[in-house]
Amino acid sequence: MSLSELTKPWEAMSYGFLDASAKRELRRKMIKAVAVPGCQMPYASREVPMARGWGTGGLQVSLTLVNPETTVKVIDQGADDSVNAASIRRFIARVAGAPVTMDTLQADLIQSRHRIPEEILSEDQILVLQVPNPEPLRPVQPNMSIARQMHADADYGRMWLQLYEQIVRSGRVMQGASYPSLVHGRHIMTPSPIPRWDVPKLHMAKHLTILSAGREKRIYAVPPYTRVEPLVFSDVPYRVEDHGGLTCHRSGTKGFFMNEIPQDGGTSTYEVSDSEWGVKAIRQRDGEGVIKGETWYKNGEMAQ
Amino acid sequence: MAYVATRGGERAIEQSERLFREEIGSFDAQRVNDIRQSLPYLVDRVMGEASLYDEDLAALALAQTGGEIYEAVLLLRAWRTTQPRLTVAEPVEQGDLFTHRRISAAFKDIPGGQVLGPTLDYAHRILATDVLRGDRFTPSSVEPADQPAPAQQPSVSAWQAENDLVDLPEPDQTAGGDIPDLTREPLLFPSKRAHTLQSLARADTGGVLALGYAAMRGYGQAHPTVNELRLAEADITVSHPDGRKFSAGRVKVSQAEVVSKKSEKLNLGFAATFGWNEVKCISAATLDLNSGGAPKGSATEEEFFLYHTEGVESSGFCIHFKLPHYVTFQSSLDAMRDAKAKNAAKTESATSDPAPTKSEPAE
Repeated sequence: MSLSELTKPWEAMSYGFLDASAKRELRRKMIKAVAVPGCQMPYASREVPMARGWGTGGLQVSLTLVNPETTVKVIDQGADDSVNAASIRRFIARVAGAPVTMDTLQADLIQSRHRIPEEILSEDQILVLQVPNPEPLRPVQPNMSIARQMHADADYGRMWLQLYEQIVRSGRVMQGASYPSLVHGRHIMTPSPIPRWDVPKLHMAKHLTILSAGREKRIYAVPPYTRVEPLVFSDVPYRVEDHGGLTCHRSGTKGFFMNEIPQDGGTSTYEVSDSEWGVKAIRQRDGEGVIKGETWYKNGEMAQ
Repeated sequence: MAYVATRGGERAIEQSERLFREEIGSFDAQRVNDIRQSLPYLVDRVMGEASLYDEDLAALALAQTGGEIYEAVLLLRAWRTTQPRLTVAEPVEQGDLFTHRRISAAFKDIPGGQVLGPTLDYAHRILATDVLRGDRFTPSSVEPADQPAPAQQPSVSAWQAENDLVDLPEPDQTAGGDIPDLTREPLLFPSKRAHTLQSLARADTGGVLALGYAAMRGYGQAHPTVNELRLAEADITVSHPDGRKFSAGRVKVSQAEVVSKKSEKLNLGFAATFGWNEVKCISAATLDLNSGGAPKGSATEEEFFLYHTEGVESSGFCIHFKLPHYVTFQSSLDAMRDAKAKNAAKTESATSDPAPTKSEPAE
């Protein structure tokens, strides 16, 4: 045995940036995460050429899954053109040679920060959600070792208490994004800070969702056709953001999650948060042939 | 296509990066060389926090980032993490270190003597403004001692152990690839001893100082005495696949032992890092000393300080707040407005209708 047998010729970078041992660990942890839906799997989480907290967890998953034939879409808060989405997309294309797209229907792999696209994802698509804080118990238990034990015991009483207290204090559940949800009837997970609007899209979805927190070093998953139920009391139904009746002032599309744009004089206009959905609506209006996919929400209501 | 106008993002980020790089200007190996030679303590700090010992790469990272330390450390970490782990060096024993500086605050004199070595500890901190007026700053030359200090010295705690003042931990016999590696597995709690020491070794200097200082001021269980502080060079010995051992060079290391003197025997805290960085080692050793029995959620609890002194993670998360957060913000606004409207409606109906009203369901 010699050193040259143990090593390869020097290259500045591995395919897809991460080295083989990092990818192997990620693959193993992803399989574990799929096997125990909603359960957080610790992983080493390598540094990538992007700052922690900027989607490094999602990026490590994407870099592990990508191959030269994978069409990649990256969105940030619903937009493909957001600065960080553009930066991540450029990076994946650069180190993996993967084709990129903005069209949800064309994508094999969608890395997203805090939104799920409005068009229904299919069995052969994977959604990778970037996660800032993977621990739904953090607000009631900041200590990670104790929280881990609570998950093991399905000791979720304090989560219910927290919701109850919000109702008592404010007259409603005040949880904005990151609505805690029970996965497969066993583990409570945070769906990442997606709006409440998007959580029902995960329930019995056809696609695989992998959630990855790079800084906090945790991976968890919602496999296809898995129950994802937001924590609600039987007499206080789950309520998504009141956006069903809003119209996008740019594309005219109606009944989807909107960004509020403050105007002079104290008023607001709205534009659709899923930017590519807005682009499709505009193109259609301008007489271009576009293919629009089925959407989860129809007329502002989640289809049952 | 009204949306196209908003697609300026990619061009804007490219130009903003160019603006940053323009300020630093073009550079070549000469600048990297100059940084390495003129700023050894900065290079040391960056190497320590990156847990990568390569002066050239560290100087390059500093040149490339214009001295933005967190960026430089991230650059090195991202490079380091993709490198293959070819081998694990032989353990470095304290007694074998080529010692440049070794002091103890616990005793006036220690076996082997107090070796001051290079330090600014006793310097008058006066700016050499003459340099700006064209003078040359030439330090007085060092006069060698009559008797050179011995290069190899035992640790002070070894002497204390002989005198039954301290119980040294059992030597850990784990070797080679079996040593837990923080860069290849996640940090979990209670943390493995190797992970704790590795994590402190690559911790952010400012971070460990802040939390260590909190412990020193009294938000901790134990007040440290610097038992030994050492700046040294360590020989790195590795094994060739055919079994021969050879030297892979020397690295600068620093280490600190601090003790507390509360009970019948001394308690020991320890930290070591790549490069010469005294503040970091003393602070980190103080945190190590304080971690035993620390209350959950206190600054001296291992989970608390190891998570929060990880410089790449803390700085990255801090700057991520510059990213847009309008979706999450919108989601909370929706709940706030609804709660406010409900509350207003309730107050209104209570004042207009004297009859007791049944409050509507919460949602």
